[in-house]
Amino acid sequence: MARFNLYQEEQHPSPLQYTWLEFQKNHIAMGGLVCLVLFILITVFCPLIAPFDPNLQKTGNILVPPSWDANGGITHIFGTDGLGRDILSRVLYGCRMTFGISILLVIFALLVGVGLGAIAGMSKGFRSSFLNHTLDSVQAIPTILIAIIIIAILGTGLVNSMWAIVLALIPQFVHQTRDFVRSELSKEYVMAARLDGASKIQLFARSILPNMGETLVMQATLALSISILDVSALGFLNLGAQAPSSELGALLSQGIEVAYIAPWNIALPGGALFLMVVSVNIVGDGLRSALKNRLLH
Amino acid sequence: MLNILLRYTNLIIITLFILSLLSFALAYLFPGDPIEIMTGLKLEELQKLQNQSVNIGYDPEGGVLSQYGHYMSELFSGNWGVSFSSGQPLYEEIMQSLPASIELSAYALTISLILGLPLGFIAALRHHKLPDYTLLSFSVVGYSIPVFWLALILILVFSLHFGWLPLSGRLSLIFDVPNKTGFILIDILMSDIDNKHAVLLDALRHLILPTLSIAIVTTTLILRITRRSVIETLNSEFIQAAYARGLTTRQVLVRHGIRNALIPILPLLAMQFPTLLTNAMIVETIFSWPGIGSWLIQAIYQQDYSAIQAGMLAVSVFVVLFTMSIDMLLRLTDPKRKKVERGTI
Amino acid sequence: MTLYACDALITSKTDPNGIVYCSEGSPSSFNPQLDTFGTTVDASSHQLYDRLLDFDQTSGEIVPALATSWIISSDGKTYTFQLRKKVAFHNISTFTPSRYFNADDVLFSFNRWRLSTHPYHQVSGGRYPYTDSLNLNKLIKSVKRLNGYRVEITLQKRESSFLANLATDFAIILSAEYAETLTARNQKQLIDSVPVGTGPYKLSDFRQDQYIKYSKHPEYWRSDKLTDKLIFDITPSSSLRLAKLITGECDAIALPAHSELEVVRQQDNLVLDEEPGQNIGFWAFNTSRPPFDNPAIRRALSMAVDRNALLEAIYFDSAIAAQNIVPPTSWAFQPDVKKVNFNPTAAKKMLRENGIEDGFSMTVWAMPVKRSYNPNAMKMAELIKGYLQDVGIQVNIVSYKWSIFREKLSQGLHDSVLIGWSADNGDPDNFYRPLLSCAAIESGTNRAMWCFEKYDQLINEALDYSDTQERAYFYGQANELLAEQLPLLPIAHASKYQAHRKELNGLVINPYGGIRFGGVTKN
Repeated sequence: MARFNLYQEEQHPSPLQYTWLEFQKNHIAMGGLVCLVLFILITVFCPLIAPFDPNLQKTGNILVPPSWDANGGITHIFGTDGLGRDILSRVLYGCRMTFGISILLVIFALLVGVGLGAIAGMSKGFRSSFLNHTLDSVQAIPTILIAIIIIAILGTGLVNSMWAIVLALIPQFVHQTRDFVRSELSKEYVMAARLDGASKIQLFARSILPNMGETLVMQATLALSISILDVSALGFLNLGAQAPSSELGALLSQGIEVAYIAPWNIALPGGALFLMVVSVNIVGDGLRSALKNRLLH
Repeated sequence: MLNILLRYTNLIIITLFILSLLSFALAYLFPGDPIEIMTGLKLEELQKLQNQSVNIGYDPEGGVLSQYGHYMSELFSGNWGVSFSSGQPLYEEIMQSLPASIELSAYALTISLILGLPLGFIAALRHHKLPDYTLLSFSVVGYSIPVFWLALILILVFSLHFGWLPLSGRLSLIFDVPNKTGFILIDILMSDIDNKHAVLLDALRHLILPTLSIAIVTTTLILRITRRSVIETLNSEFIQAAYARGLTTRQVLVRHGIRNALIPILPLLAMQFPTLLTNAMIVETIFSWPGIGSWLIQAIYQQDYSAIQAGMLAVSVFVVLFTMSIDMLLRLTDPKRKKVERGTI
Repeated sequence: MTLYACDALITSKTDPNGIVYCSEGSPSSFNPQLDTFGTTVDASSHQLYDRLLDFDQTSGEIVPALATSWIISSDGKTYTFQLRKKVAFHNISTFTPSRYFNADDVLFSFNRWRLSTHPYHQVSGGRYPYTDSLNLNKLIKSVKRLNGYRVEITLQKRESSFLANLATDFAIILSAEYAETLTARNQKQLIDSVPVGTGPYKLSDFRQDQYIKYSKHPEYWRSDKLTDKLIFDITPSSSLRLAKLITGECDAIALPAHSELEVVRQQDNLVLDEEPGQNIGFWAFNTSRPPFDNPAIRRALSMAVDRNALLEAIYFDSAIAAQNIVPPTSWAFQPDVKKVNFNPTAAKKMLRENGIEDGFSMTVWAMPVKRSYNPNAMKMAELIKGYLQDVGIQVNIVSYKWSIFREKLSQGLHDSVLIGWSADNGDPDNFYRPLLSCAAIESGTNRAMWCFEKYDQLINEALDYSDTQERAYFYGQANELLAEQLPLLPIAHASKYQAHRKELNGLVINPYGGIRFGGVTKN
């Protein structure tokens, strides 16, 4: 075979690229990703897409059925609610609110969790074991109970319920980070850096953290689906977002009032919520199997 | 063995002590007077009672430490104060609603185990084949579905559209069943009412929808955990070795697979307990199930702080005792394990 | 076998021995003397107690009940009642009555709210809103026992609505013997929470916010058919009540939402009764607070709101627009009073002229419960907020838990409030006096906190005459005064609805107050 190339061109995909290639092979996961991107777009560009102001009340247009119903109209594709507000706009704003808040919560929990996890992983003895026990107890308490305590102390409201969710999300990041740090600390590349005289902080930031990226993203998708479900559940129970707000859970609880005469008030916000969580979970699953496949090779 | 027992007893006592401190602190954190919250009575009423030299169990002038002492002694004597909104003794209210929640969760968990474990095995054994994909997609759908939406849809379909099943409560209010254990089915079986059969049927009818709502979500969780664990076990070397010895798939499974796959599942299942409880509490409010979840949420709506404080303590003690006993049991059965491993679903 | 089991599970069998009624809330006590709100009245008045007189359920005429006959003296001041014999009180676990109902019970029941020195007056707070707001305690000069079955009531002055007041849900008869027993046991407060009356049902169990269970009063004096059990399943959400009616978990429901009436009509096994309402839903301004003490501002605010749109959105056209505070069925109604027309531009101009600048903020209190006169105050408040925004006024909507809401309302902490009133008898005085008289501020039913001397004079004079045409003259003047002063903006007279399942026989709408289950049976 003739050699035209001076150097044998052998492309080694980076680990990240490899994961992406593996992920791409999974069509369902790609579908989920497209859906997820769609939700992100909605979250960002919601005011441009939504046909109406979500709180605009039209007293003449109460409980208009969706457009596919015989009595429905074109103006309100998803129909209207009991106050004559456009459901499509409310659902879009609801997606923005639920999804946006959940992402913020996950990012916040991730930062705090990784920080604490790093401390726990790098240290030994009392400090580490104290942290462990506290987190275990927090993790054993249902989110809803934490939310009830916080709300009893601070009063109902979206922000107060958010604290409860963050508190419930943090432990898994801490555990993940700590276990990862523990296992990496004994590896040779870390040892090499340590022998070079790197401090603990440098060790974590320069050597360990870069390798954690993918696991963290995976963990974050998991946390995101929990967070969406929690935000909407608290909204549904009227413990989080309050009545006129268009948060999806709150929308559902407002929809119950007219559930029997206007079932689309329940079906559509619930459907959006379901789609959102499904797409997050599918992407999470896809990532996990892609990662596993990469490690197997 | 004794060592583990001692360690866990110790741990439980310390945790309970911390919980009691937290609960006591709540009385100071909640808006309102701490003593009013602990007793559920207004200060004027307390003053009146004191003037009639009734022992109210608290000393309004005492310091925080003596207050805590009073609080603990009242707790142990079963005097948990009364509810702000209904004026009923909290101990009795909680002892009626907590079993209702436990009952609902227990049935849901049982159904989920009966369905989830075998399905998980099937999916794992047909790994990367049609049954696996079907079950997996079913499970993604199942555990992505918001439980409150699922419950609403079940109501719309089965109660309102077809009119098959009732949508609220535990038992038709027409029937009076003496409350002994707090578990409705047991109470009915133990009671000596004349139309037992009809009452039992009515209770079952009330149970179906709430149990199903919780069970669907929990089943999918168990399915995923089982599937993953079985796949990992089947890939491990001792299974390969068993195959190499010429055993059939069935023999491999029965002799080695099932046991070794189930052991790592148990702690993961225990970790799903808070999720189960959260789902149960949400479902309770939708089906007006008179359990501790709907009771606590009502208390929040009515700003009934004395009820929240007592209810919180009861639930958290229950959760701690339950999770710690599971932990301890696991350690006793499998002493090799140092610490419960954590994992993702 | 499995099929059989499934079949047994999904076919509901209704028990003919018990009626389940889904009510909207917990009663504050079991004594309607203490509370004018529908929930308490429904749970107590006609189930647990009887009155001396009743309204006929269809004609509205006053008919005998515990009093078999009565004589009115020629000066109209003395009423003599002949009492019914062999009427038994409830026999409950803590009390066994030793005698039948007699004149002592009447004296006890009236004196309790009438005399502030009465040993039971202060029990349960000492406020009797209905009788206080009508000044009945001052009107009655004496209540005398002539013999065991004859009572004489003397009034200070002639008052034509007196008999009607005795037939309302609030003029119930308690047991004097039970009160004595409780006094001896030092448990006076139990009289209103563990009640004893002569009504068709007796209380057997009550759990706050969950249920009220009644059982049959075996020795009930009327020959009404009764079921063994009567249960009030407390269900605050109206959609849930409807759902339970559809599944058969309730046999009848309170206050079906106006938006859901169509659903009830469409179901074959449900019955919807309708009756023009003796009620008024209104928007009251707190006239004790500036700037709402200025009638021009009240008028401007009223003009900013499109009442027809409210009618459509809140009542779904099951109500008629209100012009007076009395409904058109009343003889005191007057169609030609000064009207308030929807005109935001004029309203804005008027507000500016009276010193209300852009960005002025006020509160609209919306009651947290549903009533037939206002099925969704919260939603109405949100709509009003939208209208007032257009004239440059910021609205904060305020709502509390019902008991707290009422307490703060009687303290006058609101700027304006969306609430209403249901009549307890057919007499127009029952609207004019409790809603806007000076005495009603103290007793907590005058939500506008409005005290106007000329108005009080007019409604008092009206009572001096017994001829309706003469009385109508004074009420006409009162109507005009109200249209000019606008202490409250009348919004709607809503029809009263009642929904129940086909199996239930004998349940009719009681136009003047609480629901009655005596005589209601189930197939």
